[in-house]
Amino acid sequence: MTVVDDRRPTGPAGQPDRGARIAGLVRAVRDGSEDALGQIVTEFSPMLWHVARAAGLSPDDAQDVVQTVWMSLLSHLDDIHTPAALAGWLVTTTRREAWRVRGAGRKQVPADQDWLAELPDRGPGSEELAIIGDGRRALWSAIGQLTPRCQELLRIIAFVPRPDYRAVAAELGMPVGSIGPTRGRCLAKLRALLADDPEGSPR
Amino acid sequence: MTPTDADGFASADEPLDDLDLALLDDVRDLYQAVDPMPADLPERIRFSLALRGLEVEVARLTAEEDLPVLATRAVEQSRTVTFDSDSLTIMIRIDLNTDGTARVDGWLAPSQRREIEMRTTAGTLSVVSDEQGRFAFTSVPRGIVQLVVQPAEQGPGGPGQSVMTPELVI
Repeated sequence: MTVVDDRRPTGPAGQPDRGARIAGLVRAVRDGSEDALGQIVTEFSPMLWHVARAAGLSPDDAQDVVQTVWMSLLSHLDDIHTPAALAGWLVTTTRREAWRVRGAGRKQVPADQDWLAELPDRGPGSEELAIIGDGRRALWSAIGQLTPRCQELLRIIAFVPRPDYRAVAAELGMPVGSIGPTRGRCLAKLRALLADDPEGSPR
Repeated sequence: MTPTDADGFASADEPLDDLDLALLDDVRDLYQAVDPMPADLPERIRFSLALRGLEVEVARLTAEEDLPVLATRAVEQSRTVTFDSDSLTIMIRIDLNTDGTARVDGWLAPSQRREIEMRTTAGTLSVVSDEQGRFAFTSVPRGIVQLVVQPAEQGPGGPGQSVMTPELVI
C-alpha cells in the first residue's frame, strides 16, 4: 500500500508554504483583490458544499448556503487571524447556516432547475452503488452502517485540508490529542466495520 | 502495520495514522463521485461576490414559490422569491415577457425609496423604488441575476449599508 501523503496534519513539509499562501490570499482579499477571493472560493467551495450536504440540505439549499457563507466571510475577514482559522470559520459557519435553513423548513418548490440532480439527502443508497467501482463498495457499505452523526463528521473531515484538521476538529468538538487530532470513534468504527467485511481489508 | 488495541481494532484515542488518512482520501473520492459540487457553483459565487462593498448586508432567500398564472394563451409560471436581511425584506415576482425577457416586480419592506440595481450577465439595470417600496424591471435578460439595494442616503446612524441578495437564475 502506498500512501501518497501531501497533506499531513502536522508534517513540516508543505504546511508553511500553504499557510503562507492562504494567509497572503486572505490579506489580499481584505485589500480588495478579486483574484485572491476567486482563488479562495475555488479552493474551499467543494468543502463547503459537502459540509452543507452532510448536514442534510437539498442540493438547492446547499448552493444557497454556500453562497451565503461566502458573502458573510467578507464581513468577517477581520476575525480570521490564521490560515487554519479560515477553514474552521468556513466549516462552522456553513454548518450553522445549514441548521438555520433546515430549522426554517422553508417552503421551496423547485423552479426549472433540472440541472440539479436530486440525490437522497442522507446516507448511501443503491443508486450510488451503480457509479462506484467495485473496489470501493466495501467502504461505501461500511459508511452506510455508521450513525448519521459519524457519516456527517467523516464527510466533513474528508474534505478538510490536512493542515487545518486540528482547527476544524476542535470546532467540531472532536478530541484533539497533544500531537494532533485523534482517530475518534467514527473512524475507529469505520475501520472495525471494514476489518469485519470479508471482502474488505481497506484498500 | 498500524497500532491496534487488544481486540485487533484501531482504538479511537490514537493519533491519525497513514491508514486513517488513506481512508479519508477514499471517503472524499466517494462523495466526490456520488454527490459532486455543481461544477458552475464557484463561478456563480464569484459573480455574486464581484460587486461587494466592505459593508454589505446579506439578504437570504427565505421563500420561493411557483404560482400558476392564467395568461392569455396558456398557463405560465410566475415565480415569487423573498429575501430577508437584517433591515429589509425584498420580495420579487418574476414573469416572462413574450419577447423572451423577464419582468421583475418587487417590493421593499419597510417601504421606502431606494436605488435598486439588477446585475445581469449582460450589464447592470437600475431603478428607484417609490415611496411604497415598489419597483419594476420591465425587461431583464434571462440568466444569472443579482439584486443590490443601494444604501439609504440617510439612516439613523449615518449612511446605511447596501443590501445584496444571492444570485438567482431567472
